[in-house]
Amino acid sequence: MALAHHLHDERLLDCYLAERGGEIVDPPLAEHLAECGACGTRYAELVHFMEDLREGAAAESDAVFTPDRLRAQQQKILRRIEHVGRSARVISFPAAPVRGGITSGTPRVATRWIAAAAAAGLFVGAAAGLFLDFTRGDRQVTQLASARTDGSAPRPTRLAGRTAPAPPSSEAADEAFLSDLETALDRPQTRELKPFDALTPHVGLITNTIR
Amino acid sequence: MSSDVRTAIDAAAAGSPDTGHPARARRPVPGPVSEDSRLAVEIRGLVERGVMDEARERFGALVAAHQRRASRIAFQYLRDAAEADEAVQDAFVKVFEHITSYKEAWPFEVWFTRILINGCLDRRKARARRGRWFVPAEEAGPLDEMRASVGLANDANPESRLLARERRSRLAGAIDRLSGRQRTVFMLCHYGDRTPREVSAMTGLNESTVRVHLFRAARKLRGLLGGQ
Repeated sequence: MALAHHLHDERLLDCYLAERGGEIVDPPLAEHLAECGACGTRYAELVHFMEDLREGAAAESDAVFTPDRLRAQQQKILRRIEHVGRSARVISFPAAPVRGGITSGTPRVATRWIAAAAAAGLFVGAAAGLFLDFTRGDRQVTQLASARTDGSAPRPTRLAGRTAPAPPSSEAADEAFLSDLETALDRPQTRELKPFDALTPHVGLITNTIR
Repeated sequence: MSSDVRTAIDAAAAGSPDTGHPARARRPVPGPVSEDSRLAVEIRGLVERGVMDEARERFGALVAAHQRRASRIAFQYLRDAAEADEAVQDAFVKVFEHITSYKEAWPFEVWFTRILINGCLDRRKARARRGRWFVPAEEAGPLDEMRASVGLANDANPESRLLARERRSRLAGAIDRLSGRQRTVFMLCHYGDRTPREVSAMTGLNESTVRVHLFRAARKLRGLLGGQ
């Protein structure tokens, strides 16, 4: 039986929701809508308004969330859940300092002793060197004085003998050695050592300077 | 703003990841188990057995099935594409993290949408809080508006694009003037394509209350937008 009076807006909305959800519209309401022109017009306006809103919103969202963006979103989600369920790797640190291990006091004491020993060694070495030079100088002066007294020519000192030219055989061997060294340095695999070589005084250079 | 909606949703959050409380307020929606709910149960089983790689693979299918609708709801709720994107991602990640607490008595979509809406409400709340303390920047989504305009009216003239943009702006403004519950119900029902019964399950409100909120929301929107 069709309704005698016009439908309230709430009933119109119920009809719209039922129709949209694929449900059966209440038969008396459906009959009234079919028969009443005014209610039919109101219903059509409501449907138009609601559908317009829905389609507009859907189109707006779809324009922002394009298929590419949705794909990227999906990838991000999958990346984020990659670590879910995996236990975190915990690196354990020793609770107490290891016995016999490195402690804060030990190296400082050792360093102090090493420094003290090195300073003492340097001091002793320097003092011994000075003492030896002093005694040698005294000996040379004595020898020179005695030679002058004897009237003989002074004998070459050890120092003079040390700076005397080496025998030719030894010099050739040195030259051969240096030549070999230069050849070795020219090899590609030893080029990396050249900077170190540049920092090292060459034997030949020293020899020439002394000469 | 919409704390009332959040309360209503939480009250009904039976075993939801947000609360973890047992069911207390609402009964599950009866009906046949949907395909996605079945898939969610399968993923839950895989996670429980520790077969994580396969679980992730299946979850990808679940994401693909729901992400468009979820993005639509989140975007309409937040009016910012980047924030909506993050909200959707967070919701899916949360679902995967708590998949073992999923009960098949609830349709997956209901469970998921509730998590999504709660996330969106939290973001809106945070945004409002920021708005109280910081000078608001340019309107949240001019770039999104532009993208939407380009996407919607590629072939339209500038005047049509401008009108479309103005209309969307008016609509967004009108929706913002709805109360929290009205907005949530309207979003889920109208933009999320959910029936009042499903929205009732999602929000914890009675079905008749959902209908009332929806009716009031529609009436208010028509009043504000002048019937369009």
